[in-house]
Amino acid sequence: MAVTSPFPATSGMFADGAQLPKTVKVHGINHYFGEGELRTQALFDNFLEVRRGEIVIMTGPSGSGKTTLLTLIGTLRTVCEGSLLVLGNELNGASRDQVNRLRQELGFIFQAHNLFGSLTAYQNVNMACELVGMERKESDRRIRMLLERLGLGERIDYKPDSLSGGQKQRVAVARGLVHNPKIVLADEPTAALDKESGREVVTLFQEMATDHGCTVIMVTHDSRILDVADRIVKMEGGRIKTDSAVQETSVICEFLQQFPLFSSLTPTTLTEVADMMRVETAEQGDTIIRQHDPGELFYLIRTGSVDVLVDDGKQTRKVAQLKEGQYFGEAALIRDEPRNATIVAREHCVFYTLGKADFTRTLERAASFREEIQQALFSRS
Amino acid sequence: MLATQRKTPLAWKNLTHDWRRLAVALAGIAFAVLLMFTQVGFQNALFDSQVKIIDDMRGDIFLVSRAKYTLAAEKRFPLALVERAAGVPGVTGAYPLYSELTLSRLKNMTPGRRSKAFPIRSIGFHLNQPVFRNRDLNDQLGKLRVRGTALLDRHSRRANFDFPLDDDEALAASPAELANQRIDLVGTFSLGTDFAHDGNLVMSAETFADHFPQRKQFGDPLSVVDLGIVEIDDPAKLQDIRDRLDAIIDDSVFVLTRDAFREQEVNFWHTSTPIGIVFLAGKVIGFIVGMVICYQVIYSDIADHMPEFATLKAMGYSRGYFIKLIVGEAVLLALLGFIPGSIVSYGLYHALAGATGLLMRMSVPSASLVLVLTLAMCIGSGLLAVRKLLSADPASLF
Repeated sequence: MAVTSPFPATSGMFADGAQLPKTVKVHGINHYFGEGELRTQALFDNFLEVRRGEIVIMTGPSGSGKTTLLTLIGTLRTVCEGSLLVLGNELNGASRDQVNRLRQELGFIFQAHNLFGSLTAYQNVNMACELVGMERKESDRRIRMLLERLGLGERIDYKPDSLSGGQKQRVAVARGLVHNPKIVLADEPTAALDKESGREVVTLFQEMATDHGCTVIMVTHDSRILDVADRIVKMEGGRIKTDSAVQETSVICEFLQQFPLFSSLTPTTLTEVADMMRVETAEQGDTIIRQHDPGELFYLIRTGSVDVLVDDGKQTRKVAQLKEGQYFGEAALIRDEPRNATIVAREHCVFYTLGKADFTRTLERAASFREEIQQALFSRS
Repeated sequence: MLATQRKTPLAWKNLTHDWRRLAVALAGIAFAVLLMFTQVGFQNALFDSQVKIIDDMRGDIFLVSRAKYTLAAEKRFPLALVERAAGVPGVTGAYPLYSELTLSRLKNMTPGRRSKAFPIRSIGFHLNQPVFRNRDLNDQLGKLRVRGTALLDRHSRRANFDFPLDDDEALAASPAELANQRIDLVGTFSLGTDFAHDGNLVMSAETFADHFPQRKQFGDPLSVVDLGIVEIDDPAKLQDIRDRLDAIIDDSVFVLTRDAFREQEVNFWHTSTPIGIVFLAGKVIGFIVGMVICYQVIYSDIADHMPEFATLKAMGYSRGYFIKLIVGEAVLLALLGFIPGSIVSYGLYHALAGATGLLMRMSVPSASLVLVLTLAMCIGSGLLAVRKLLSADPASLF
C-alpha cells in the first residue's frame, strides 16, 4: 500500500541524499488559547521538520500562528496537543527543569531588545555566557568578537541609554548568539536595522549555520534577507500553507517543466504547483494505481522506479518502465477517464502527487497562457 | 566561589542604576528604621528609667518584701531581717532603705505660689551607711546631718516642683513643706523620674522618721524597711551568699541578686502594664510601614523590567536565580537604608534625651534588633514581590 505523508513535496523531507539530523520536529501540533467557552484554536494540525544548519524563514499575515509556533518551538509556551521534539527533547509534558536546561541551548532574538538599562552592552551579552557557564576567556573573546562584527566595537562599555535603537538591537543579537546556541529563534531581527547591519546579522546567522550547524528559525517580513533562507514556511489561519525547501522546490520545478503540458508555465506558477504537491511513498511490489479505477492524482517520481502494466483482457503485459523525474497518471485526469494502466513499484519509491482539481486548474492556466502568447503573436503580425 | 564572584551583580546594578529612585527608596526604609528605633529607644528608656534607682544603688544583694511586686508598691518588712542579714558570713554590710510615696507630698510655700502639694518619693537612709553610688549625692551628705533638711532630685517634674535648682542659696531660701512639715531643701542631686515617681527627695533616716511618723501605726517608723541592701566581700561567692541569706530569712522576703532584682522590676513593667504592648504595637507599625515601602520599591523595580526579566527566563534562568536576585536586592536595600536610619535615630536619641531626661541609649542589642527587623521586613516584602517576577511570561515577548 502506498502511504500519504503529512509533509508537502516541497519540504524536501523525502529528497535523495544524506539527510542531516532534524533539530526540530513538529508533529500534529494543535494549540488553543483561552479557557472554556472562550477557547479558540490558534494552530491546526501542523507538521514541520527542520534540519541541523538550516535557515528557516517563517512568513504569513499577523494572526496566522507563526509566532505561536515559534514560541512553542522555543519552549516559551506549553504544548497542548501533538508532539514537538526540539534537539531530541519531547516538549509535550516536559518538566520545568528540562525546559530550563533546553533553553540554554537556544538563542532568542526578540523584536524588542529588552536590554537591562543598568548593564553595559558587554554585561548584557555576558548574562547569556554566565548562564551556560562559559569560560571567562572564551566568553570575553566571543563577546568582543560579536560586538565588533556588529559594528559596536567602540560602544562595548556603553549602557543602552547611550545607544541608538539599531545599536541596542544589535547588542540583543549578540546576546542571542554569544553562547553558540544550537537553535536560534528570532523575531524580526533586522526590522530596526539599516541595510548594512541587517546584512551583517544574517551573515552571522549563515556562519553559525554552516560552521556550527546552528538551526535558525526567524519570523520576518524583511524581503532584503529572504535570500539566506534554506526553507520558507508560509502560515495562514493557523496552518502551514506552504513549506518549501528552496533546493527541493527548484528540483520539482525542473521536473514539472519537462512535462509538455506544463512547459509553458512561468517559474512562479510552477512554484505554486510544486507547493500544492503532496508526498506518497511505496515499497517494492505496491500497486500505486490500478487499471479501470477512477483517476484522482497526477504522479511525479521523485525516487525509485515503477513498471507500467496493461491488461488487454487476456493477459497482463509490461509496457514500460518509468524512473526518477518521469510522471504518470495524467491521461485519466486530462480525459476524465478511468486509469488505462496499472503501476507497480519496483523498489522503494517516493512520488510527488497533484490532486485532480489542482491539476486541471493548472492545465487551464497553461492553456490560457498559450492563447495569450498566440494572440500576442497574432496581433503583432 | 570564584565563579560566583565573576557574576554580573545584577541586583546591585539595578538598584544603583537610577540614583534618584534609590535615594527615595532608602529614605523610605530609613524612615521605617527610625520608627522602629524610636519605639525601641523609648521602651528601653522607660524601662531603664524604672530601674535607674537600682542601678544607682550600692549593694550586691537586695532584700525585698515578697509582696512588693514593683518598687512603687509600698510593701515593707521588719528591720530585724536586715540586721539578721548583716550577721551572715561573707556579708560586709546590710543597710535599710526607707521610701515613702503615699504620705510624701511636697508643697512650694514661696509667697504668691499656688499652694498645692504634689506627691514626691522621699528616700531615707542612715548617713553613715551611704547606699547610693551617686557622687553628687554622697558629697552633700554633710548637709543632711541637720534635721529637717533634704536634697531635691534636679530631674523632678518642674511643673509640680518649681524650685530654683541651679542656685543652692536661692533653693535653701525657698520655703517648702513635706507632709505638712517644714523642710529645708539644701541642695540637688541627680536620679531621674519614672512612671510612678514625678520627683525624689533624699534625707537622713532621722528626718524621714520626723516627717512620716504614721508610717507604722504603733512604734518606731524606722522599724519597717522598704529595701534591704547587702554588700558582700567576694563577688565570686554572690550566689552562695544569696542562698545562705535566703535560708535564714523568712519566706515573706525575696533575696535577689542585683540582676534578678532588675529583671523582676523590668518584667513587671513589661508584662503587667500595657507599656510592653504599646511599644510592641509601635514596632509592628514601623515594621509594616517599612514593609509596604520596601514592597513598593521592589515591586516597581520588577514591574519596570518585566520584559528584561522575561528575556532572562527565555534564556533559561531559573526561579532560584530570580528569588536570589530579589532577596539580594532586599538585603542591599535593608543594609543601605539601615545606615542613614540609624544615624538619624542616633541624633534623635540625643535630642530626646536632652529634652525629656529619659535615658535614650543606642545599645548594641537594640541596634541589632532593629537591623534584624529591617532585614526581615525587606526580605519579606521581596519574597512577596518576587511572585510578580515569577509570573513574567517570556511568550509575551514575541
